[in-house]
Amino acid sequence: MAKVKCAWFDFASCEGCQIELTNYGEPFVELLQHIEIVEFREVMTEKTEAPIDVAFIEGSFTRESDRAKLERIRDRAAVVVAYGSCATCGGINALKNHTDDYKQEVYGADADKPHLDSTKALPISAAIKVDYEVKGCPMDKDEFLGIVQQLVHGTAKVYVPSYPVCVECKRRGTVCRFDEGDYCLGPIAQAGCGAPCPADGIPCEACRGMVQDANQKSMEKVLMENGKLPERWAKQKTRMFTANFREDA
Amino acid sequence: MKRCYISDEHLNGFVEALMGRGPVIAPVAKQSRFVFEKLETVDDLMLDYDTTILPPKVAFFPTKQELVTFDGKEAKSCINPTDQVLFGVHPYDIKGIAMSDKFYTDSHVDENYMANRRATTIVGSSVQKHYKHAFFGSVCMEVEVIGHDMFLTRVAGGYVADVLTDKGEALLGLGQFGDATDAQAGEADQVNQAAMENCPEKLENTSAQIRDKMRSSFRSDVWEELSEDCFSCGSCNTVCPTCYCFDVQDEWGLDGVSATRCRTWDSCLTAEFSEVSVQGGCENFREQRAERFRHRFMRKAAYLNEQLGGPACVGCGRCSGACTADIANPVVVINKIMEQ
Repeated sequence: MAKVKCAWFDFASCEGCQIELTNYGEPFVELLQHIEIVEFREVMTEKTEAPIDVAFIEGSFTRESDRAKLERIRDRAAVVVAYGSCATCGGINALKNHTDDYKQEVYGADADKPHLDSTKALPISAAIKVDYEVKGCPMDKDEFLGIVQQLVHGTAKVYVPSYPVCVECKRRGTVCRFDEGDYCLGPIAQAGCGAPCPADGIPCEACRGMVQDANQKSMEKVLMENGKLPERWAKQKTRMFTANFREDA
Repeated sequence: MKRCYISDEHLNGFVEALMGRGPVIAPVAKQSRFVFEKLETVDDLMLDYDTTILPPKVAFFPTKQELVTFDGKEAKSCINPTDQVLFGVHPYDIKGIAMSDKFYTDSHVDENYMANRRATTIVGSSVQKHYKHAFFGSVCMEVEVIGHDMFLTRVAGGYVADVLTDKGEALLGLGQFGDATDAQAGEADQVNQAAMENCPEKLENTSAQIRDKMRSSFRSDVWEELSEDCFSCGSCNTVCPTCYCFDVQDEWGLDGVSATRCRTWDSCLTAEFSEVSVQGGCENFREQRAERFRHRFMRKAAYLNEQLGGPACVGCGRCSGACTADIANPVVVINKIMEQ
């Protein structure tokens, strides 16, 4: 069987998901028996203009000028996989979406340089058709490998849960952050990661996005009442990774 | 029933002897809470725990369980029980285990569950501290505490050990047990009675009254109101000792040939639980969160009563504590429905 030609591309992101992928070790090496990497800036210098079987796209869509680049990738790729928080929900870049002074804040005197121009940070699906999404900051290893496995071998569709992170915390017997006097976005956060952060004593920040029909009103209330966050913080908390899911987005 | 006594100074020796025979799953501290886990040292044993995050059924029915592995040619069963002791189970949780046993054997004997269950010897223990939401003294009173092999009740200077089965009898040789005096036996009965009476929360009606009222409240607007803050996060289900639904998924190896079939505890409060495939599309037969919220109470307080001889709720209070929105408490919800 011919190897599946795969290429990696990145847009507005820290490229951490690519690093994460190369950190997978053995499963990544096993994967190389089934795929051929034709472009991957993080690990090789070669590039390609030829048709690709699977294009993996990291980063958010935040410059209109990137639309043409994305469309070109879409045109020559049979399958497009967006991976990581930035590519699937705008990620942490979307923190800027509700502000208009972020450039001055971040770049100071350089704020007016043209290459720093950007618009709202949006998922890749806002520009082109995306066939699969692998969520998370960084993306989840098992989910990524599962989806690639499915693309390579054509086996049954990989199941990704649609419920909140609380389910996964409970299943692993993690002490609830709220029981420890902390806050957490677990009740509205998309699961699938296995809830590693609360298990390590860190609140969930919903890096995989919000669940469908997330009860945002109730979340604000719980953040204030149980999490003891002041009202202003409770109302802003979901801008971190899920700005594009907010009712005011 | 044989009633024995073991003093405080001999308890650790008994537990260590059990640990020498095989795994002992018991309550241990985890930050501000407790969990049932394999004892690494007897010092970790916390018999004065209030309640655990997950119910003790995790000892024989893990939240994720492998059922079958497949290597491309042959499927192999993952049933591989280890003889173990589940130690320090509170009476309400013993009821919960007996209910699970029933669910997994009534119409079909689930060997993935039962093989582990049969290999487990259960040593119960009296409630020394109440969980803040416990109400086991006013619910499920018609269901007996049965299915365990030995029961330890905290009394002055030690524990009264009630021996209930041959499996329990077999444990006696591992510790310095003597016969309980009449005074010790009497004290044990009093301790267990007091634990029932001192629950911090209380239902005001009998199971039959609640069952009938639940059924007649099916179309009430109150469900909408009560579930307004619900996250559909399934926490109330996942911590419940009587919930028994699971979801089966196949996980493929990278070679595209090998696979493992696993089951995971499922939760009817989540939206995807009630999603079904219909003519290539997807339908949800309990689309609204109020419907799912209501369904849990109907199951617990009405639907399962006939099968179990009482409600499918043992009053542990775990769901009340696990619900971050503080809307799942059965005492609050049921008392409110009863007032309607």
